[in-house]
Amino acid sequence: MLQCIFLLSDSGEVMLEKQLTGHRVDRSICAWFWEQAISQGDSFKLQPVIASPTHYLFQVVREGITYLACTQVEMPPLMAIEFLCRVADVLSDYLGGLNEDVIKDNFIIVYELLDEMIDNGFPLTTEPNILREMIAQPNIVSKVLSVVTGNSSNVSETRPGATASCVPWRTTDPKYANNEVYVDLVEEMDATINRDGVLVKCEIYGEVQVNSHLSGLPDLTLSFANTSILDDVRFHPCVRFRPWESNQILSFVPPDGQFKLMSYRVKKLKSTPIYVKPQLTSGGGTCRVDVLVGIRNDPGKTIDSITVQFQLPHCILSADMTSNHGTVNILANKTCLWSIGRIPKDKAPSMSGTLVLETGLERLHVFPTFQVAFRVMGVALSGLQIDKLDLKNLPNRPYKGFRALTRAGEFEVRS
Amino acid sequence: MAGIRLHVIAPLVLMAVGKCARDASVYVRKCAANALPKLYDLRLEEHNSAIEEIVGILLNDHSPGVLGAAAAAFASICPNNFSLIGQNYQRLCEILLDVEEWGQIILIGILLRFVIAKHGLVRESIMFSLCCTESSNSEKDGSTTEISIKEDPGFLCGGNNFGLDVDVSGDNDLLASMVSRCYIERPDEYLSRSSYTNRGPELNVAQFTSGKSNNDVKILLQCTSPLLWSNNSAVVLAAGGVHWIMAPREDLKRIVKPLLFVLRSSSASKYVVLCNIQVFAKAMPSLFAPHFEDFFICSSDSYQIKALKLEILSSIATDSSISFIFKEFQDYVRDPDRRFAADTVAAIGLCAQRLPKTANTCLQGLLALTRLEFLSSDIGSVEGEAGVLIQAIMSIRSIIKQDPPSHEKVIIQLIRSLDSIKVPAARAMIIWIAGEYCSLGDTIPRMLTTVLSYLAWHFTTEALETKLQILNSMVKVLLCAEGEDLWSFKRVLNYVLELAECDLNYDVRDRARFLKKILSSNLNPQGLEEEANVSPQHKELSHVLAEHIFGGQTKPVSPEPMNCRFYLPGSLSQIVLHAAPGYEPLPKPCSLLHDDIDLSNACQGTNALESAKNSDFYDTDDHGSLSGSLDEESTSDYSRQDSITKSSVSSGGDGTGSANDDDDSVDLLIQISDVGNACENQNGFSHSGSADLRELISKRGLESWLNDQPGLSSASTSEPSEVSISTARISMGDIGRRVKTKSYTLLDPANGNGLKVDYTFSSEVSTISHHLVCVEVFIKNCSSEAMSDIFLQDDESSKGSYSADQTIVATDR
Repeated sequence: MLQCIFLLSDSGEVMLEKQLTGHRVDRSICAWFWEQAISQGDSFKLQPVIASPTHYLFQVVREGITYLACTQVEMPPLMAIEFLCRVADVLSDYLGGLNEDVIKDNFIIVYELLDEMIDNGFPLTTEPNILREMIAQPNIVSKVLSVVTGNSSNVSETRPGATASCVPWRTTDPKYANNEVYVDLVEEMDATINRDGVLVKCEIYGEVQVNSHLSGLPDLTLSFANTSILDDVRFHPCVRFRPWESNQILSFVPPDGQFKLMSYRVKKLKSTPIYVKPQLTSGGGTCRVDVLVGIRNDPGKTIDSITVQFQLPHCILSADMTSNHGTVNILANKTCLWSIGRIPKDKAPSMSGTLVLETGLERLHVFPTFQVAFRVMGVALSGLQIDKLDLKNLPNRPYKGFRALTRAGEFEVRS
Repeated sequence: MAGIRLHVIAPLVLMAVGKCARDASVYVRKCAANALPKLYDLRLEEHNSAIEEIVGILLNDHSPGVLGAAAAAFASICPNNFSLIGQNYQRLCEILLDVEEWGQIILIGILLRFVIAKHGLVRESIMFSLCCTESSNSEKDGSTTEISIKEDPGFLCGGNNFGLDVDVSGDNDLLASMVSRCYIERPDEYLSRSSYTNRGPELNVAQFTSGKSNNDVKILLQCTSPLLWSNNSAVVLAAGGVHWIMAPREDLKRIVKPLLFVLRSSSASKYVVLCNIQVFAKAMPSLFAPHFEDFFICSSDSYQIKALKLEILSSIATDSSISFIFKEFQDYVRDPDRRFAADTVAAIGLCAQRLPKTANTCLQGLLALTRLEFLSSDIGSVEGEAGVLIQAIMSIRSIIKQDPPSHEKVIIQLIRSLDSIKVPAARAMIIWIAGEYCSLGDTIPRMLTTVLSYLAWHFTTEALETKLQILNSMVKVLLCAEGEDLWSFKRVLNYVLELAECDLNYDVRDRARFLKKILSSNLNPQGLEEEANVSPQHKELSHVLAEHIFGGQTKPVSPEPMNCRFYLPGSLSQIVLHAAPGYEPLPKPCSLLHDDIDLSNACQGTNALESAKNSDFYDTDDHGSLSGSLDEESTSDYSRQDSITKSSVSSGGDGTGSANDDDDSVDLLIQISDVGNACENQNGFSHSGSADLRELISKRGLESWLNDQPGLSSASTSEPSEVSISTARISMGDIGRRVKTKSYTLLDPANGNGLKVDYTFSSEVSTISHHLVCVEVFIKNCSSEAMSDIFLQDDESSKGSYSADQTIVATDR
């Protein structure tokens, strides 16, 4: 079981230390960790499980903050990693974004949260809804109150009712004047296009996000028109497995508020909405880059927030890039970012320029990979369609909303 | 309240928890369950039975919330008390789905262990099928009855006896199976999974139960399969692990997609899941073969993930998918991360070795690559390129090795490219190839004269390793040569040797002189008259020697010991590749007999008594050996060694990796020693207070036990089993560790004189008894005077009974 959790800032400073069991873990382990991180560079920071001389460390890095958990005994590593991810999610949810200062300002809340989330090294309550019931979210009012009254605790006095009920994820008996439930399909498209321009891999990773504000104990049934396209699924604990196994119907009692009902994967898609065609020709110490972007299959809605970026290889001294649409920036870490926005009707956006190679290098022999980002509102590119949403156990007719969004996940074009 | 770690109030807390465990409110009961591990952690022996009782009550609960916490308490307090599970098994399975996710992870593990302990393994599962292949492949046993005995190594846990013996044979199996087919790699996974074996005949095919007929197994599989859809990746992996071990092979497909889906979550968990998939894929490539696209690499992956994916790809490639994979590899070779590109080249080599049909395509690609890299290899500044080039030539070499005659042209091309390749290591490798296959086919021998004079011409400008390789290869060529070539070769070699003797580097000079000496007969350009002077016998001898040195180099490369241990899927040990403290293999199949569920409670009382005694005994022993080893000057040396190896040795945390209660009825003797060992650790723990020190102690104790072996044969009955436990531990570490030589300079290191002692744990089996470990001790007198009365003694402690038997070797130089 976990023995200790540390939060490190991006300069290696220990911001927060939470001992979980009777056996203290010395802070020196962080010093060791940071020394290793400095001496071994980036590859070390990406290593999730580390065996140090005295402890096993699990690390998760989110937005510059390193979450470090220590243990000395055997335990499922994924449990630790998953838990750290949850901690990071809950914290950023509570504090509205995460950075060093925010955490330092809200030490009390962070400690309170950790107290509830883990006990004696074993994860306890990680459901955000329940946590919210136990520990009030910080807001201006509570801050003022705490300053005025000197009472800094915002742990609620009542014990969470849900832990006793048979649906531990739902707060007991919320009341809403207007009942509403929103279902969002959020999809991410992962695609890999190889150097010959062939689509090697194209798949969609989607999530069904539900935002429910329903009073009482409603029972929802969500069915899809075409479940056959789904390759694999994962569910929120509230989903009952049996109806899905038999009829591919999602039947659940929703938690209160926003949650991820289900995630799914659709594989082997045949085409992408846009194309990106990079062309690199090198010779005589320079390299000519041309990138063309255009719409291939019009999804029916506008594609916006298109960006193309790539990492300049190490052997490049300078780069001079221009485009006929959008802006091109070369960032400090040798990343070239071309933000296009929307594709205009009349012309195809293109970017071109020359890269100057290191002296003595005749031609470019390593080729960068172009990462593409885009967003399509209102369409789920996987083709998944929600058939209907039935609600039971509700006093009055609720308002049902539905949205869809597709954006690029790991969309890569090799050159 | 339980958080107050005061021994005084512990009885009060225990009472309170006991009350709360029967409370009407779910929340209170859950908190009671959470408090139990904290209480247990205080290590008050007298309360343990009471705590276990409460765990039993809580496991009987009907609320899923309580069960999750109770499962966690069970796992940390009494993971082997399967009787508690036995009463509730069916209900636990049914309720599993409703338990909170963190509890699910623990509960799945407990249920799996229980089923294996109760019913043994499933006949249709991968565990069994692989065992069969193993035994049919192994030269030792062929008959069907032996099958079960052969596979026992895998399944039995906790060091009952004969540890070392089987370990060695297992390693042999490992070598054999690794070479034959990667499919059979699995057996050794079992070996490590439980590391120790019982050759006892009481186990037979009855250990296996049919998954179709056995209800308990069926329920477990049924209940865990929906968990594959869980949102929590740890739950998915735990459920996947259960299926991997228990499910019939044809049903294994269902774990593939969920596992691959988990890959889409955070990069940290991606790494862990990939580590596990890697093992699965190696054991059963067919499982993941259709999903090769999922292992294609994204540029955003970290280097570790990329390397893992490459390894998986090269192990699951099939004839149908290989063309796609190669296409991908071609792209990866151009990746800006050159370390990754080098790995890709190595992976191509691996693929070609797995699928001999593709070897030609691979070779063409690799050759093209070597030509491509010329451009950049001229420039010293690009370090990564050299790596890629070296890797490419290494891959080519390994492909050629498989079937030299058919790749003659490739060798020729490589030799031709010598002029343009500038990286010393790559050049050395090509020269090696030239020397090795110098007599192959027709064309190569004809080229050799030119090649050798070219090399001789360039000799002075070469780098060190190339120079050495040139010398070696020339001698090889010379030994193979016949006819008029011989004469010219001799001249060239003489020229080179003379150059080398004046080289700046002493290695080259030494090599040259050595070669000159050994080849003095062959070398002489004048030939006959001098040859007569040399006695023919001597000439013969040196020739044979030379042949031996340079002739037989095409030995199969032994597989690296690095990856030969596998641990339970989803465990920490699998990721860090050594047994973490507290790592427990699966329990012994069928160790839990149906009728002893009630009995075990009765037994426990008596055992507790015995174990108390035992623990005392071993504890003092520990400290004794500790002081013994601290005695010498070598302390600092020793403890440094310890701190390095410590992590590789499973020093069994709470309740050492052995089934305590489940083998009650099997063998009382074993049972006692197991408990004793567990308690000893606890004692050590409470004595020292810090886990670190405990590990040191047990490690020391262990080493002294190992040294003790000869004396033990006469010792009391409980000791052999103790010994096997200690051997069980050491074998969990790397194999490489065992051949490490430790050196103690006993007297005066400053002057360089004194007594030098090196010792090694050798891997061979002792001839006296397979209980014993061979320790080779080399004692060297570095001082000027003769020394006498040297004898080996460990343990100069209260337990003097051992030391008398220890005078083994006393060599005096």
